[in-house]
Amino acid sequence: MSAPRGAARRGARGAVRRAGARGAALRAAIGSLLVLLPALGLAACSADGTVADGPDVLRVLAGSEVKDLEPLLARSGVKVKISYTGTLDGAEQVAGGGADGRYDAVWFSSNRYLSLIDGAAARLSTETKVMSSPVLLGLRTAKAAELGWADGKATWKQIAAAARDGRFTFGMANPASSNSGFSALVGVAAALSDAGEALDTARVASVTPELKEFFSAQKLTSGSSGWLAETYTRQGGVDGLVNYESVLLGIKDLTLVYPSDGVVTADYPLTLLASAPAEKKELYGRLAAWLRTPDVQREIMASTHRRPGIPEVRPGPEFGSAPLLELPFPNRRAAADALVTAYLDEVRTPAHALFVLDVSGSMKGERIEALRQALVTLTGADRSPSGTFSRFRSREHVTMVPFSGGPHEPRAFSLPERGPGPVLEEIRAYAGELQASGGTAIYDGLRAAYTESLRGDPGHYTSVVLMTDGENTDGSSFEDFERLYRMLPEARRPRTFVVLFGESDAEEMNRVAELTGGAVFDARDGSLASAFKEIRGYQ
Amino acid sequence: MKRSIGVVLALLLGAAVVVAVVLGNGGGGPAVVRGVIGSEKKPFFDDPRVRAAFEKHGLRVEVETAGSRQIATEVELDGYAFAFPSSLPAAEKIKKERGVSQVFSPFYSPMAVATFRPIADVLAKAGLVRDSGHGYQVLDLAEYLKLAAQGTRWDELPGNTAYPARKRVLLTTTDVRTSNSAAMYLAMTSYVANGDDVVTTAAQVPKVAETVAPVFLDQGYSQSSTEAPFEDYLVMGSGKTPMVMAYEAQYLSRLFSGDGSITPDMRLLYPAPTVLSKHTLVPFTEEAVRVGRLLTEDPALRSLAARHGFRTADPGAFADLAAEHRAPVARDLVDVVEPPAYDRLEQLITTIERLYADGTVPQAGGGS
Repeated sequence: MSAPRGAARRGARGAVRRAGARGAALRAAIGSLLVLLPALGLAACSADGTVADGPDVLRVLAGSEVKDLEPLLARSGVKVKISYTGTLDGAEQVAGGGADGRYDAVWFSSNRYLSLIDGAAARLSTETKVMSSPVLLGLRTAKAAELGWADGKATWKQIAAAARDGRFTFGMANPASSNSGFSALVGVAAALSDAGEALDTARVASVTPELKEFFSAQKLTSGSSGWLAETYTRQGGVDGLVNYESVLLGIKDLTLVYPSDGVVTADYPLTLLASAPAEKKELYGRLAAWLRTPDVQREIMASTHRRPGIPEVRPGPEFGSAPLLELPFPNRRAAADALVTAYLDEVRTPAHALFVLDVSGSMKGERIEALRQALVTLTGADRSPSGTFSRFRSREHVTMVPFSGGPHEPRAFSLPERGPGPVLEEIRAYAGELQASGGTAIYDGLRAAYTESLRGDPGHYTSVVLMTDGENTDGSSFEDFERLYRMLPEARRPRTFVVLFGESDAEEMNRVAELTGGAVFDARDGSLASAFKEIRGYQ
Repeated sequence: MKRSIGVVLALLLGAAVVVAVVLGNGGGGPAVVRGVIGSEKKPFFDDPRVRAAFEKHGLRVEVETAGSRQIATEVELDGYAFAFPSSLPAAEKIKKERGVSQVFSPFYSPMAVATFRPIADVLAKAGLVRDSGHGYQVLDLAEYLKLAAQGTRWDELPGNTAYPARKRVLLTTTDVRTSNSAAMYLAMTSYVANGDDVVTTAAQVPKVAETVAPVFLDQGYSQSSTEAPFEDYLVMGSGKTPMVMAYEAQYLSRLFSGDGSITPDMRLLYPAPTVLSKHTLVPFTEEAVRVGRLLTEDPALRSLAARHGFRTADPGAFADLAAEHRAPVARDLVDVVEPPAYDRLEQLITTIERLYADGTVPQAGGGS
């Protein structure tokens, strides 16, 4: 795990730097910084002012959810070097010992899933809760009024009933890649199961039909809670979001619904690693104490909309006065994993993932091998939980659209409800046979994919991945693609998630992502497999 | 097996060794002494007055927290000058394994339940909470276990309009696999489940563990160190933590500090029976021996320990503070039981641990 992560990190940092260099005018025109946000999920360091390692530097492995606190940390008097990672990836890294020696502390939105992994507890030392934020439903004010929830009062059961009846739609981050999505899934499952105690695997199985009804209204997914909020703000498309209260409070014209049957709350524990050397432990102690001083707590509350973590500072009026019932969280990893598996294989709207793959001559050698590997990774070769969750899932449709000087014959795969093994094997074999030669007709490839998508099942959640390692040399242009795209019916315009690789034309690829409401992932100096894995959260 | 607090106190005093003058370290800054402690004592060691008291003697004490069972079994102790778990059994184990000759038990605290007035009222109506007649309230553990075994939910309690949650009526504890306060809770519940007797034989373990396991497992995820759920109680209130198992000292320290975190709506209950948690320091270096000795003997540190809600060998300081803050504390707890010996307690925990791993947990019978 560690090698690809390091490589991807360098790549993402590069992307951020380039984005900054393009200047304010272009940024305003195409919002490229927003488009690049997901790449930050891979990023290790802030764009500028990167803190170099040293004996007086606290090295923190963090979830991207706490990125908004980085400016504040700069005033703590402790030098902090933060590296960002996905929640599940980070949990695996810590539990497996991969964080020992490389980091001194971890800071995720919750340690709950992490603590369920065997061996994790012994790697963690002091935990300091810094703040909290429950996962809630935020709805457009008009929609909330229409549903009778203008006062913010409803139960998950009522919300699920409205979802089943098609009365609203929502977006939520993928539970396999984001803590907000995972927390929401646990909360909804606990509430709908009407269990008074924590979910176990049997209870997960019995609540699955109700979860299906609830999630039939989910029309937008995302690998991170941040991208979800950005996309909703800029494009709308759904009636609301399931996300952290802190994120929802930052969006205009939303009514927050506080489910009276309970929520799951993130508590952001800054956690010392047991392996940290003595001088780093002291830095940790200073930073943790500083974060819990009343003035800093008040500032966190005001600037990030999170609830304070110390009793001396009371939550402000923006958080409402309703007492929040906390739902029990599973205490066995098997139950947590069963819940995510049920979500992916049975509950969620199945995905139709189209992969537009550059197999031009420049991909010869290591690059085509990296592409083959990246696809094989998604067939289940990566046996870690994050690998298992990000592989192609039951009911999913996968269409491969390779291109060089023109589009090749697309190949469609359809995973059955049970026993995906043989189809995964077919995809693996297909990936192994990809050969590189010829020119680069990016937009002919994209056009072929969008044409294929129209033939697909409209009941699937359709998205396109575009992976290319160079500039467009053959066939139609970006403008041609733009015209085609705008001719499609609005309901059938899948997003394109672009993977930069080799000598990609970053600027034009940004325009593709911008046009389609997708995002850009940078694997130019890094791992294609990591980028593909991350994109799975958006499919 | 119940003992009066006087006997326990005598034992504690016996553990305190009355010796010698403590020498400051000659010249330079204070000597840093690093220890691993139960999380509930961290506010004490972080207190600037405590730090100043140690500095007077040329010491700077730095602490990290871990669950007491983790300290006894998992934590690599080589990097520390002392371990300060929250119970005597855990300390005894470390003492034996590290070949330490002398330990210090400078203070102790009975296990207590922190809750809220409306919830205490609901529990009183349901026959779980009663007035002791001595200015404090008692939670009847046997009645509680009965209710929990039936799978009762809050909204099923008679006349409960104050807290109509669908959740089960369950005390919030820490993870019994890592933390001392949960192990102390296990000591109490196992006593009740064993027919009001301390678990002393291996033969008693399976049945008792099976009986009490649901009050741990059905809570779902529980945190590993005692300060965390108590902070949730203070910060997030009854929604997350309607009632939490804590050390009396955690509650009193907040009350004595007058920081406003104990609101008029909060209540302290004493489980009947309860156990005493004897915080015991195991030193690995000479300097750590001095830390243990100072905690036991230094009047300034003893008085600060009382301010942090601990009961020390000087009951007067504690009683004065309780009176000053009108704390509903039990001066003379009579319903105190001894925890099982380390090995028995360990067997109970590992049996419950196996139930976590298997998932073959005995579900609460009857009820809803």
